[in-house]
Amino acid sequence: MVTVAGIYAYAPAIAALPLASFLVALFAGRWLPKKGALAGILATGGSLVLSAVTLVELVLTGEGYDERLYTFVAPAETFDLGFGVLIDPLSAAMLVIVSLIAFLVHVFSLGYMNDEGEPGLPRYYAGLGLFSFSMLAFVFASNLLMAFVFFELVGLCSWLLIGHWYREAAPPSAAKKAFLVTRFGDYFFLVGLVGVLATFGTARFAGEGGFPAVAEHALAGETTVNTFGFAPETWFAVLGLLVLGGALGKSAQFPLHTWLPDAMEGPTPVSALIHAATMVAAGVFLLARMYGFYALLPTVLAIIAFTGGFTALFAATMAVVKDEIKQVLAYSTISQYGYMMLALGAGGYVAAFFHLTTHAVFKALLFLGAGSVIVAMHHEEDMWLMGGLKEEMRVTYLTFVAGSLALAGIFPFAGFWSKDEVLFETLVHGLGANPLLLGGYLLGLSAVFVTGFYTLRMVMLTFHGDPRTDAAADPHGVGWNVKFPLAVLGVLATVGGYLNPAPLAKLTGAEVDFLHRYLDGPASEELLTSAHHYGDLTHKWAGYTAGSVAGSESATMLAGAGLSLALALAGAGTAFVLYRGPDPDRHTEGLGDLRTVLVSNYYQDEYQVWLAEGLTLRAATAADTFDQGVIDGAVDTVSSVSLFSGDRLRRLQTGVVTNYAALIALSVLLGLAAFAVVGGWL
Amino acid sequence: MVLSSVPAEYYLVLSAAVFCTGLFGILTRENALMFLMSVELMLNAANINLVAFSFYWGTLTGQVFTLFTMALAAAEVAIGIGIILVLYRNFDDVDVTGPTTLRW
Repeated sequence: MVTVAGIYAYAPAIAALPLASFLVALFAGRWLPKKGALAGILATGGSLVLSAVTLVELVLTGEGYDERLYTFVAPAETFDLGFGVLIDPLSAAMLVIVSLIAFLVHVFSLGYMNDEGEPGLPRYYAGLGLFSFSMLAFVFASNLLMAFVFFELVGLCSWLLIGHWYREAAPPSAAKKAFLVTRFGDYFFLVGLVGVLATFGTARFAGEGGFPAVAEHALAGETTVNTFGFAPETWFAVLGLLVLGGALGKSAQFPLHTWLPDAMEGPTPVSALIHAATMVAAGVFLLARMYGFYALLPTVLAIIAFTGGFTALFAATMAVVKDEIKQVLAYSTISQYGYMMLALGAGGYVAAFFHLTTHAVFKALLFLGAGSVIVAMHHEEDMWLMGGLKEEMRVTYLTFVAGSLALAGIFPFAGFWSKDEVLFETLVHGLGANPLLLGGYLLGLSAVFVTGFYTLRMVMLTFHGDPRTDAAADPHGVGWNVKFPLAVLGVLATVGGYLNPAPLAKLTGAEVDFLHRYLDGPASEELLTSAHHYGDLTHKWAGYTAGSVAGSESATMLAGAGLSLALALAGAGTAFVLYRGPDPDRHTEGLGDLRTVLVSNYYQDEYQVWLAEGLTLRAATAADTFDQGVIDGAVDTVSSVSLFSGDRLRRLQTGVVTNYAALIALSVLLGLAAFAVVGGWL
Repeated sequence: MVLSSVPAEYYLVLSAAVFCTGLFGILTRENALMFLMSVELMLNAANINLVAFSFYWGTLTGQVFTLFTMALAAAEVAIGIGIILVLYRNFDDVDVTGPTTLRW
């Protein structure tokens, strides 16, 4: 019998294994048979097994784990700074998701990178290893400081991997953009982190000593913290918004979403990893991790919900007019993370994590499917040059359709259940508590239609109709290492929704809402991270109460689910009708000026470039002129007096000894004369 | 004793005369060797004073001190000659008004 602490003591190894594969690939990858791929597969496979064991242990024993690993500054001194491991239902489940996706991406990379003879493979696998390490360590971080450190490492890894093909023009530029835009958000996170430490003296997430619990006591007036002269509500909201800045950057939410579509310049498996499990998921996970803090702040919750809902629709509309398969997926990612933000803002902690889980599965599937198509098409990404691939690529087609239906939210695929729960939580809390949430709900609901449309458009253009190019007529075959990850994810995307079929649980009374029960499990009780604790907090502090239409919860739920399913089907059906047939027309051209706006991504890039070049650069130039002219000018003027007088005085030095001697003799004579006069000798 | 019959003022006048000779040499000559000699003259003018006052005071302190001064002067000459040699090697001349490159 292994004790609980025995198993949990190995938790750091979950992250340490990919770190080891990073070192192996970096220093020895050149001489290894698959250039470091095998090390990566073994390491992430090991992480997957360990995470699964941890998850099982957590479920069986019902005990969480919150342990300090390393202390920079002891809690008794000014701040509590250190590294630690926090295993609760949320982090245990996320560890499994991240290591699963990382493992499958490593396997897929064998087909996408090794078999295609790409250069720089050791560097690539080293990047993947470091990426997995950073994300896994971020997930089990027990405090905000450690989370921040690994959050930044994740950003660094995305820079390394997006810019993998650094000899071309676009990837390095895209990598730089991803790094700078997310770094801009992280700057707010950093300030927020310092604020949290200065306010609470600790940045721990869980338990009575954690900062969310302290914040709650401070709001209730049971304890006092340093709020720098503000009311606690105001000050906590400021802190919440600052940390939210980091999450918006990483999770590519409006207005910091612009880096994500450009990040498609990286290798496709990297896109899958970034979008499904690491990088982009980190932002939402961070908010879920410290949900005990956000649940206290109604204003911040409303802002999160509205930003999420807006981003969901905003990004979905841009996906409609994209011609490249990865671009469509990129905008769908932004849109889907918008749903998770919406759920978090609407008090749907379980819904958000549920959608994070199903999205990780189906988005990884879609990216790997797109990668498979791109390999088959000899690295062509334009969907208008594809068509008719479904006959030649059976496995890719079937799994891609499963992923697409999940993305579109069609019953009974995974995305339907999670998206429906997100919308349901938003609707009931919008009806019962905050009407602002209804605005977010409407935005999210409209996005369902658009999502259905662009998803089916992508499927129809890629796989249906007649082949439109020679490459599409004769695609290049893909191996087991591509099909295996697709098959695993395809099955999960189909049945993943039964993790938490909340509508079934509510209608029949059967206890099938497994994820909800799991997140509410006894392991989270002591750590104060359980779903019902968050529910109590949002109810008490943000006033979230469930409302309903037509009087009953079931009716509300059925109406909501029916509405969103109908919209998804309508969107998908429209696309199906428009783009069927052997040679579909470019229907989006009919949108006219609207299409121009959408293709230009609402001019977000232009406006951000203007912010950088037109505004910041000009302000900086003006400040530089002021500094050089006025500040330095004053100093220079003062020093010029010394300079000028020194220049004149030095002419006294002739360098001729005789002159010096004459000067000395004269001075002595003058001195003598002076003494004579003063001393009265004369 | 015959020395004690010479008044102290005589020694002072002699010393002043020797000193002024040295000073005149420094102010008018351009040859480094002449400089060195002039400096020695000025130094010895001071020595005359020391010995004379010591004699009149009745102690030996000033006279002993003069021995030190002479040793110091010998060392100074050694260095001075060295400098003059370097001067000659660099400028092919021992004219002290020529080398002014170390000023500003």
